[in-house]
Amino acid sequence: MTHCLLCHQELHPQMTLAQFWRWQPLPVPVVCPRCEQQFERITTMHCPQCGRQQTSLAVCHDCERWGDVPLRNHAVYTYNEAMKAYMQQYKFQGDYALRQVMMEPLKQALAQQDYDVLVPIPVNQETWQTRGFNQVTGWLLNQPFQQALLVTADHKDQPQSAKTRQQRLLTQQPFSLAPNAATVLKDRRILLLDDVYTTGRTLRHAAAQIYLGGAKAVTSLTLAR
Amino acid sequence: MSDEQNLFGRQLPLASGPANSNSRPAIVTIGQRRQCQRCHQWLLPTDQLPNRAWYCRQCLQLGRLTSQNKLYTIPEPNRFVRMKGPILTWPGKLSPTQGAAATAILDLARQRRNQLLWAVTGAGKTEIVYPALAWALAQNWRVAWVSPRVDVCLELAPRLQQAFGHVPQTLLHGKQKAPYQYCQLTLCTTHQLLRFHAAFDWIIVDEVDAFPLATSPLLKTAIATAQKPTGSHLYLTATPGEQLQRQVRQKKVAVTYLPLRYHGVLLPQISVCLIWRWRERLAKGRLDPKLIRQLQNYQQRGQRFLLFVPHVIDLKPVAQALQQAGIVGGLTVHATDNDRAAKVQAMRDRTIPFLITTTILERGVTFPNIAVIVLGGDDPVFSTAALVQIAGRAGRHRDFPTGAVTVYCHSQSRRVRLAQRMIAQLNRQGKRLGGRQQ
Repeated sequence: MTHCLLCHQELHPQMTLAQFWRWQPLPVPVVCPRCEQQFERITTMHCPQCGRQQTSLAVCHDCERWGDVPLRNHAVYTYNEAMKAYMQQYKFQGDYALRQVMMEPLKQALAQQDYDVLVPIPVNQETWQTRGFNQVTGWLLNQPFQQALLVTADHKDQPQSAKTRQQRLLTQQPFSLAPNAATVLKDRRILLLDDVYTTGRTLRHAAAQIYLGGAKAVTSLTLAR
Repeated sequence: MSDEQNLFGRQLPLASGPANSNSRPAIVTIGQRRQCQRCHQWLLPTDQLPNRAWYCRQCLQLGRLTSQNKLYTIPEPNRFVRMKGPILTWPGKLSPTQGAAATAILDLARQRRNQLLWAVTGAGKTEIVYPALAWALAQNWRVAWVSPRVDVCLELAPRLQQAFGHVPQTLLHGKQKAPYQYCQLTLCTTHQLLRFHAAFDWIIVDEVDAFPLATSPLLKTAIATAQKPTGSHLYLTATPGEQLQRQVRQKKVAVTYLPLRYHGVLLPQISVCLIWRWRERLAKGRLDPKLIRQLQNYQQRGQRFLLFVPHVIDLKPVAQALQQAGIVGGLTVHATDNDRAAKVQAMRDRTIPFLITTTILERGVTFPNIAVIVLGGDDPVFSTAALVQIAGRAGRHRDFPTGAVTVYCHSQSRRVRLAQRMIAQLNRQGKRLGGRQQ
């Protein structure tokens, strides 16, 4: 018997008749329906720039403040308590097995996006050593991607998540292009992939670098907003 | 506190340790498999990180251990500050039956035997251990008092602080903010024992049959690892499980019985009341008239009561049905309730007339003069042990030594009958020691 990855309760997957007639391997759930419900999916009513869930289709206040640095971001879930707890356990406690929780939703979200090349936001060398994985590529399941960005670790005295909004906005460009970037990015439509959109600083830095590499268009997808 | 003291008898993943510390890899490969050296559980073949390191998912809550980590320890030196004043500052007195049990425990502790104190609910288990604990502390033993339930630890901490006023003590649990302190007497949850290695001469495990210890091999090994090879342990419970009873029969664990409560009155027996298809009735928003009448009767007399229901989802419909019947003023409480502590405290302070609860209040709580009702006692969540513990909530106070325990169920069940039989057997033994029926 398998257990829910989040609440450790036993899973009792129900087979539907449709699944039975399809005669294909059954989907194996990794979380129980109760835990799954805790995550709130973002509906079509969202900010066209940052993907934030709201009641209108207008550009939100935070995006207006960015002025003429546009970005087209989509997000899968709202950054609520459940998502915060999930990120805490997956990213900061380092429970790599939790990547399975988001594999399927992210696969569906990626299928809806229009892009040529997928570029995940990288982690710096030190994080890679201590955490042991890149939280973004962990969610990818057989989807091809290009590590076109590199991160220069020098100035990262403090993690992004420990800063205030003001401090985050003042962050310097942390990314540079990988040696093979030009061949990968030239005249292609690029989709950036990150975990959480908070102020948009990281994604805008990354998008600027990608444009420098000669990309035709850059959009982004984050798991949470 | 120096870094050294921090490592006495512990096992911590550090970047580097003091010169006199020993270190060992946190995860070792044995044959084809890998084992975590903190919790001694086997890793799954899928527990590998992309940077080739292995990590343990079982004890992740205490901070992740990977195969790149090392666990540092310094063998326990028992280097404690001399105490100023008497060890036992408890002003109370044990009853003759309690005294006999206390002496038996002290003798077995002296022989360093592993033992079990099997005493009925409300026998005063904590106080019975005091003389033996005082002796152990006088021997310069390092002692841990642990429990799988954090509520039990939190309730116990002030009592032990009072009873052993001059002994430095520390309380450890998952939400503890205060930093670790090296003390002779450590009070902690069983999970915290995973941070110790051959540290304790004596471990007292309170409520040994409680969830999650009873079903967790991880926590059982934690107790074994935290104990010194020369050490021993004492289990405390009113309802030992099948496995523990077998160990007693095989004489692997010495046992001290105490089938009588401290006030000398026998345990209240469970009375069963059948209510046919109460679940269907509850789905329509009503409860059985028998139950309603009993509760209305309690409310008129000003008798406070605890109503146990099987599941969290039952709390709301039951509360609504009671409200419709005019039984108001109570609260509902469950394990993940944010105001849980405040609600239980309100019940203790007698500001509310009743609580509707799940099995979380089955043990470790005392309310004077309380009646106990179980709705759906035939549900599998109420194990025999749980029912005996729930029945044990009634009549714990010296001034109110009796109390009614009523179990409502859809049909007769084996677990309820076994619980009745267990209480009857304890009462037979209690009578021999001079227990009164009242």
